[in-house]
Amino acid sequence: MTSVVIPAYNEAEAIGAVVVELVARGHEVIVVDDGSRDGTAGVAMRHGAIVLRHVLNRGQGAALQTGIACALQRGAEEIVTFDSDGQHAAEDVDTLVAPLRAGRADVVLGSRFIGTTEGMPRRRKALLSAAVVFTRLASGVRVTDTHNGLRAFTRTAAAKLDIRLDRMAHASELLDEIVRHELRYEEVPVHVRYTDYSRRKGQSSFAALRILADYVLGRWMR
Amino acid sequence: MTSFQWIAFAVLGISFAITLTLTVRRTLSPRVGLAWGLLWIAAAVAIARPELTGEVARVLGIGRGTDLVLYFAILAMVFGFFAVYVRMRRIERDLTIIVRELAIRSASHVDAGAAVNVDDGGGVGGGGKASRER
Repeated sequence: MTSVVIPAYNEAEAIGAVVVELVARGHEVIVVDDGSRDGTAGVAMRHGAIVLRHVLNRGQGAALQTGIACALQRGAEEIVTFDSDGQHAAEDVDTLVAPLRAGRADVVLGSRFIGTTEGMPRRRKALLSAAVVFTRLASGVRVTDTHNGLRAFTRTAAAKLDIRLDRMAHASELLDEIVRHELRYEEVPVHVRYTDYSRRKGQSSFAALRILADYVLGRWMR
Repeated sequence: MTSFQWIAFAVLGISFAITLTLTVRRTLSPRVGLAWGLLWIAAAVAIARPELTGEVARVLGIGRGTDLVLYFAILAMVFGFFAVYVRMRRIERDLTIIVRELAIRSASHVDAGAAVNVDDGGGVGGGGKASRER
C-alpha cells in the first residue's frame, strides 16, 4: 500500500481537492494539520483523509516526520510526500512509486526542472536554481531540483529518516539523510503548477535566507 | 570607600547569597553555581581594587583595566546568548516530539471513533453490543 503524507498549514481552501484526487486513485492519504486555525483538519477528514493534528504549529519538517511515523505505523510499503496547496499532480504519485517497486531506488525525488512547470515566476526559478547549486555543494547530491515537496520513500528508507529541522530547511536535510544512510535515489520528472493560490501561500523569496541559516546551524549543531 | 563601592558590594553580596542558596538547594548544578560564585567574587575584587584590573590588562597587552572588563563582559554575553540559544533549540525539539506524540495518539482515537460510529449505524437497536461481539 502507498501512503501519501501531506503536511498542511491553513490550507482549508485547497486541501479538499488535493485529498479527493489522491483518494480517487486508491492511495491512503494522511494529512498532518500543523496547527491550522482555518478548519483544514475538518475539510481533509470530510474528503477521506486520515488526519493528524499538531496542537501547535511546528513547521513543515516536523509535520512530515509526524506523517511518516504514522504511515509506518499503519504498515505503508511506500510513502509519498505531497504538498497541500495543489501544486502537484496526483498522477505523478505512480511515477514516483514505480522505481521503488522495481527495486531500483530507495528514494525517488520529483524534479520540476526535468519535468514541467506551469506559471512559475522567473524569480522563483532563479532562486531555486541557486538552491540546487548550493545543495550540490553542501550535500554532494547531484539533483536537478531541491525543495520540491514531491518525494517517495520505501518503508525501509523512511524508517531511517530522522528529520530534525522543524521548518523549511528539512528539504536540504533530507538530502543529507540520503547521503548519511547511503540510500539509492533517483529523480523523476514531475509537473508543478503555480497558481495564484500557491504563489500567495508559498514561501516568500526572502524566506530563503532564514531557510539557509536554519540549515547551516542545524548541520553544525546536529 | 566610595558610595559606588558600597552599593556594588551590597548587590554583589545579595547575588552571591542567592547563588549559594540555589546551589545548596540543587536548583543550580554545582558547576554552574561555582561559575557564578567566582564571577561575583571577581567583580567584587575588581571593584575593591580597580588598579588590579589595570595590571592584568597590561599583562594581556590590553591598554586599560576598563577595556579588559569591557572585552570580558562582551565575551561573557556572547557565550550567554549562545548557551540560551542551544537550550532553546533543545526545548523546541522536545516540544516537537510532544506535539508529534499527541498527534499520533489522537489519530488512532479518530480512527476508533469512526469505527464505532459505523458500527452503531449498521446495527439498529443494540448495535453497540453487537459491534463488541464482532
